Amino acid sequence: MSSSSAPAVSARSWASEKLFLGMSFADYLKSLATPWNFVAGLIMAVGLPLIAYRFVFGLGATTNLSQTNPWGIWIGFDLLSGVALAAGGYTLATSVYIFGLEKYHPVVRPALLTGFLGYLFAVLGLAADLGRPWNLPVPIVYSFGGPSVMFEIAWCVVLYLTVLFLEFLPPVFEWLGWPKARMWAVRMTIGLTVFGVMLSTLHQSSLGGLFLMAPTKLHPLWYSPFIPAYFFISSIAAGLSMVIVESALSHRAFQSRVDHHVDIDGIALGLARGASIVLFAYFFVKLQGIADSGRWALLATPYGYWFLVEMLGFVLLPSMLFAYGARHSHVRLVRWTAAWTVLGIVVNRMNVSVVAMNWNVPDRYVPSVTEVIVSLTLVTIGVSTFQWIVNRMPVLKAHPEYRDSESH
Amino acid sequence: MIPHDILTLYSAKMLEYGIAVLFLVLFIPFWRYVQGPAAAPAAAPAKIRVPVPRAAEWFLTPADRMFHRGHAWLKGGDDGLVTVGLDDFAAKLVGPLARVSLPAIGAPVGQGEQAWRLMAADGRSVEMLSPVDGTVVALNPALAASPDLAERDPYGEGWLMRVRPSRLRANRINLMAGAAVRRWMAEAADGLRGHVAPGLGALAQDGGAPVSGMARAIDPEGWDRLAARFLLTDEEDAHA
Repeated sequence: MSSSSAPAVSARSWASEKLFLGMSFADYLKSLATPWNFVAGLIMAVGLPLIAYRFVFGLGATTNLSQTNPWGIWIGFDLLSGVALAAGGYTLATSVYIFGLEKYHPVVRPALLTGFLGYLFAVLGLAADLGRPWNLPVPIVYSFGGPSVMFEIAWCVVLYLTVLFLEFLPPVFEWLGWPKARMWAVRMTIGLTVFGVMLSTLHQSSLGGLFLMAPTKLHPLWYSPFIPAYFFISSIAAGLSMVIVESALSHRAFQSRVDHHVDIDGIALGLARGASIVLFAYFFVKLQGIADSGRWALLATPYGYWFLVEMLGFVLLPSMLFAYGARHSHVRLVRWTAAWTVLGIVVNRMNVSVVAMNWNVPDRYVPSVTEVIVSLTLVTIGVSTFQWIVNRMPVLKAHPEYRDSESH
Repeated sequence: MIPHDILTLYSAKMLEYGIAVLFLVLFIPFWRYVQGPAAAPAAAPAKIRVPVPRAAEWFLTPADRMFHRGHAWLKGGDDGLVTVGLDDFAAKLVGPLARVSLPAIGAPVGQGEQAWRLMAADGRSVEMLSPVDGTVVALNPALAASPDLAERDPYGEGWLMRVRPSRLRANRINLMAGAAVRRWMAEAADGLRGHVAPGLGALAQDGGAPVSGMARAIDPEGWDRLAARFLLTDEEDAHA
């Protein structure tokens, strides 16, 4: 690669090594013919033109959003759920780098990558959802709008997305073969982790804080002055569960990329202990919210039944299953429970932003097919990006040259 | 202004305090359940207490040695060299030895890295970890003729080798002495007993020390793997 006499050849070998997994371009293209890539390609082939269509013809032509129901699944699913499920990044980075729980070191990088991509695609989803996406930079560079709750959200997302990007730089530099840059990136770890947990605390909760503005629109069982705390606490359980699910899937899908000496089962059981206790506490904090509002009678209404399904089925039940699985080393149970909890977090965020929102208005929102396909497309692009990075950078396994190095 | 009915407010507060107290009361058993050892209830009946000597007393741990978690000891001398051997636990675990395969004089050894191998009469062998970084300067000449010395007198005639340490100060962080050794040895013995409550229970009842070659007594087929697990050199470490 250092030969200056044949730059074309070295550039080609660099591309072959770094981008085409050591294959020639033709071989690389052939290697892409997998069932997953076919499905992903199909989704993108439908979804990408729809995204273009939305930007050309506007929200009215593509969504079922209205003045009454301005927030749909692009907010409830892509943004709120995406950000909650990206919480594994700060949860794991804090556990390992601040609390010194070295056992979880092997899953920090995948968690940070999941966090980064989760945020990135949440922002892309937001860009699709905003009527005037070109105004996105306004609160950052032009008009802060300090009194708006959106001010904090905008700044936290921008800063935390940057922090996640910087936190993920060590594997990028290892992949590129830049040891000096990597050294500097590793030195920033503690500072970035502290900054990251501050920003996440602020802004996981401020996403809940958004709904403090809508006390009359949100169903009283979901509305509570404690809703910022609900969002923050549940994001920890969401992050832990997402790491359990993601590490299990990665170890299955990227057999050749994982470190088989890592006790991934032990890590899953440890994370399950944490998730179990967080969900247990979350259940009681939510109960406290109902006691505070005194709206017990509403539990005996159809919305109340659905609320109970969420609280008992998606909070208390996984808490108990995690506890049982962790105590009896039942890894399969723990993984299925984690997937169930991830679903539960999506249910909660969708409930708050869509299902229980405008519950008392006759004009109910149901997402259009376009909205669903665009959401699906964004998730597919996110997963494909994860796959692209994991296949190239040392994410699931330490880089051989840095295996014994200090942190990271 | 919202007119407050003081009694209604009071009952709501009582409920909130009640939920908080309920949470705290339930949290303690829940926490203990989540953190508790797997399958502990099932194992409990097998562990009915018989009057056994305290586990730590099964194995000798002379006060003038420092111990490494891989069950090797080291003792400093005035000449700047350290003497290295295996501890009583390792000796009793592995039992009668056919040969001790030591590194060559001049070879480097690293703390926590595999340094020598104990070979039994049945042809199977177990690796052990060096407790110190340095260079081997002498081997125990008596071991070649009678390897069983290492098992019969691990702290005396059965020493293994002398090492010129390269960073003894740093290595000390990973060595134990005094009360820490007894605690650690008790844990190791408990681990062994927990492994095979029936076999060792009987052994302890007849009054005394564990039999030589405990690992083989416990698991005749896979004793070398069992021993390696206690000596921290089982498969996973070996491949790392």
